[in-house]
Amino acid sequence: MLTKPRVPRSAGSVVHAALPLAAALAIGAWSTQAWAVSRALPRDDAGVVDGGAHTRGSADAGRADAAQAGVAPEVLEPAASEDGLLELPSPVVKPLPPVEVPDVLAPVIEAAPDSAPEEPLVPGGRPRAVLGTIVGLLSIMVLAYLGGHRRVLAWEERLGISQVITAGFPFVILGLVARSSPVAILTDDVLRDISPLLRLGLGWIGFVAGFRFDPSMFRGLPSNVASVVTLSTLLPFMFVAAACASCLALFSDQSVGLSDPVFLRDALILGTAGAMTAVSSSNRSSDSVVSRVLRLEELAGIFGLMFVGAFFRPQGSEVSWQIPATAWILLTIGLGATWGLLVHTILERRSEGSDFLVLTLGSISFAAGAAGYLLLSSVVVAFIAGVLLANFRGSYQERLRDLLLRLERPVYLLSLVVVGALWDVRDVRGWLLMPVFMVTRLAGKWLGMQLGTGAGQLTLAPGERRALGTPPLGPLAIAIVINAQLLYPGGSISPIVSAVIGGGVLTEIFVQLWSRRK
Amino acid sequence: MTVLLILVLTGLMDALDTFDVQGGTSSGVSLALGYLLLTAHFVGDLFKRAGLPRLTGYIATGIAVGPGVLGLVNEQMLGSLHLVNGVAVALIAMTAGCELEHHSMKPLLRSIGSISLYGVIGTTLLLALAVYVVRSWLPFMHGASVLAAALISTVLGVVMVAQSPAVVVALRDEMAADGPVSRTVLGVVVLADLLVILMFAVVSSIAKAVLGGGVDAVQTVRGLAWELFGSLSLGVAIGYLLALYLRKVKASAALFVLLIAFVIAEVGDRLSLDPLLVALAAGIFVRNATSAGDELYRHIQAPALPVYILFFAVAGANVHLDALTTVGAPALLFVLVRAAGLLSGSALGARLANAPSVVQRYAGFGLLPQAGLALALSLLFAETFPEFGVEARALTLSVVAINELMAPVFYRMALIRSGEANQAAAERSTGSMAPSKPLLPDSADLNAGASPPPQQRPTSD
Repeated sequence: MLTKPRVPRSAGSVVHAALPLAAALAIGAWSTQAWAVSRALPRDDAGVVDGGAHTRGSADAGRADAAQAGVAPEVLEPAASEDGLLELPSPVVKPLPPVEVPDVLAPVIEAAPDSAPEEPLVPGGRPRAVLGTIVGLLSIMVLAYLGGHRRVLAWEERLGISQVITAGFPFVILGLVARSSPVAILTDDVLRDISPLLRLGLGWIGFVAGFRFDPSMFRGLPSNVASVVTLSTLLPFMFVAAACASCLALFSDQSVGLSDPVFLRDALILGTAGAMTAVSSSNRSSDSVVSRVLRLEELAGIFGLMFVGAFFRPQGSEVSWQIPATAWILLTIGLGATWGLLVHTILERRSEGSDFLVLTLGSISFAAGAAGYLLLSSVVVAFIAGVLLANFRGSYQERLRDLLLRLERPVYLLSLVVVGALWDVRDVRGWLLMPVFMVTRLAGKWLGMQLGTGAGQLTLAPGERRALGTPPLGPLAIAIVINAQLLYPGGSISPIVSAVIGGGVLTEIFVQLWSRRK
Repeated sequence: MTVLLILVLTGLMDALDTFDVQGGTSSGVSLALGYLLLTAHFVGDLFKRAGLPRLTGYIATGIAVGPGVLGLVNEQMLGSLHLVNGVAVALIAMTAGCELEHHSMKPLLRSIGSISLYGVIGTTLLLALAVYVVRSWLPFMHGASVLAAALISTVLGVVMVAQSPAVVVALRDEMAADGPVSRTVLGVVVLADLLVILMFAVVSSIAKAVLGGGVDAVQTVRGLAWELFGSLSLGVAIGYLLALYLRKVKASAALFVLLIAFVIAEVGDRLSLDPLLVALAAGIFVRNATSAGDELYRHIQAPALPVYILFFAVAGANVHLDALTTVGAPALLFVLVRAAGLLSGSALGARLANAPSVVQRYAGFGLLPQAGLALALSLLFAETFPEFGVEARALTLSVVAINELMAPVFYRMALIRSGEANQAAAERSTGSMAPSKPLLPDSADLNAGASPPPQQRPTSD
């Protein structure tokens, strides 16, 4: 999915690269101050949040600590009320209610319980387990063999499911089956063990998307492209958000409104995922208009996720930094930019082969982990770091591109196994949302393309119109909802995940059949 | 610049730590994973420049950032990274199995047997004697009868003698070493691994029975037989599947090898099998009974370095330096006794087997490193004999800590002095390597290691 050729650097691209750098420095300075404030707040009370606006505690102690930390007293003083409450600005969005992590998600979100690891099997059950292991491995081997067999490929083609297979959806099913109670290979303990893989996968997808984002590729675009991008992003976003949110409201046993933060958040997540498009082999070339439009759509998706991550933050005892939502946006950009700079410095050191793999894996894992640790989006932070790296003049560019290209698919497919294991298929709402998601998304995309191209001078070939009008759903859409699921395990996130994964499969089948008819 | 990068990464970790969420969550583990990979890699570089093994740098990183010192990687994060240990053990054992090619090992078998007998079993007895003699220094032995003291001394002798195939494979790769010393050492540590597991099962059962714990002998023998023969049988079956996959399917073979390592690590524990034995048997089978040995070796090496770095760093983080403060003196004594026993015993064994002089002089150094098996046996000893409590565990963990840090340095020197360092790379560049000998990957400075986390059943390293 990465683009190979790159246009020569110019002063413009250097400016593009320098801007985030300057922003990062400013944000770095600012976030240091914010961090100092958060440290200055009394730690034992820092987690007690009243409506997201009040932090109880000893203000005097906080001020003393702040003075020690070198923070000006006025940073804390203006909001200090008489009974020692530190008042932070009222949030734009109402605070999210506390949620309980569903059992199905617990292994990848919560810390491991203190209980002892799983007991070994009793001797009587061992031979069966050995046999099961061998049969399981044999099955995977047979599947892999059949997957590459000519006759099977021809059969997939006839059934119109070859793209579904190529997109990796069987791996979702594999994860689902492996976690189901009769098979139970992916137990909670195993899932907990491999959960960093999911974070790494999210970071990898974000990083890859960022690394292929070169602002210079948008030079020389026809003037009408802006309206195509706006409409083909905005319309599916609105259609999906409106239709799916209405369905969710119908399913809900309580009355929900636009001011309900959970409802609003879920609608935004669905809409953002719906606006995304897969970068397929046919539209991968960086020179094509379609490819550049899709890059811009990805950017919109990243912005959407960043917005949701900043304004709909989990609150409660697990959060110790109390800063406004806009500050979280700046912190997200700052973290991504700082990490991008650091990775640039790391990769600039001469390293090859396995060493380069270690540095790249370590960098992406750290970025994804740091973002997750701060309850920010791993996809967004890694994306920003990737954008920076793509626009720096580094000797590692080709090696990094090759490595990302080589490992993109294995990392993505392994992540899909974990995604499948976390997929709660028992929720009927998800199954009902699937067709709604697919239909509204495709309708929005098609209408956006028609309106965007019809109004101006942009002329597209039939293949390009098809790519923009009936596009399949890409990894970024799945990454967006999975990332949201990790950040917001409650609410309607479970049916949303079902809708996006199932909608993705339906879309692939529909697109395949549609293009064949055409 | 390297030092600056390490400081910046450490500063970031410290800053993130103030966010105050539970460190064992998946994001915390992902953070720890990235941090350990990067920092251990950089520290390994620094150690290499200083003429020390890179893997010692990885271990030192783990010690420094682990719960015992800076605490940047906490216990929960370490616990969640235990899968890496299992996968690394399986990959290392498969590597070792791939190296044990029948024709090239046949001339060395006599030396291997003799060194194992005199070096490993002899040192076990020597260590047992040393513990018995200095039992008055050991508070947990106070008041024990002569028989009880003798039995516990024997068990401790077995626990402290354990070697580390992981370090041997890692250093062999890092130094691109090849020759009679490195091959003999590899054979001995693999054989010693089996011997130690057997000896521990036997002597601990006897000790438990005599000390009044009540042991079902039949049950013990059955358990042991299952662990040995079950592991070997499953290993052969997995080896067959591996070879079949490499021959028939081929696509995404590295991924399949990783999956196999993961299955061995996970299933081994649940089935009371030894993951090292399973993987070793698989590697030996593929190398000696099929034509896919070289290919398997190549696919193992592809994902190996990151797994190995994490493995050693986690092993380092599990080192209990604090134990040294309480039992430092006796631990140091036992480290010296162990070293003396292994060096002299292996020299004697090699001489009696008419091994080349270079093997007689340097093979013993390869038996000094310790990691996972010794650590696991220490923990199992504490579980089996709770009456000897924390102090006995502290003693054995201290011995492991010293050996884990110091011994790789000596083995590295031995490989250099024996002239075997860089021999594999030289053979590869001249194309003189025998077809049966696995090719080393391009980045020949891969590093391997071992150490399962606490609270796990013992598995070899």
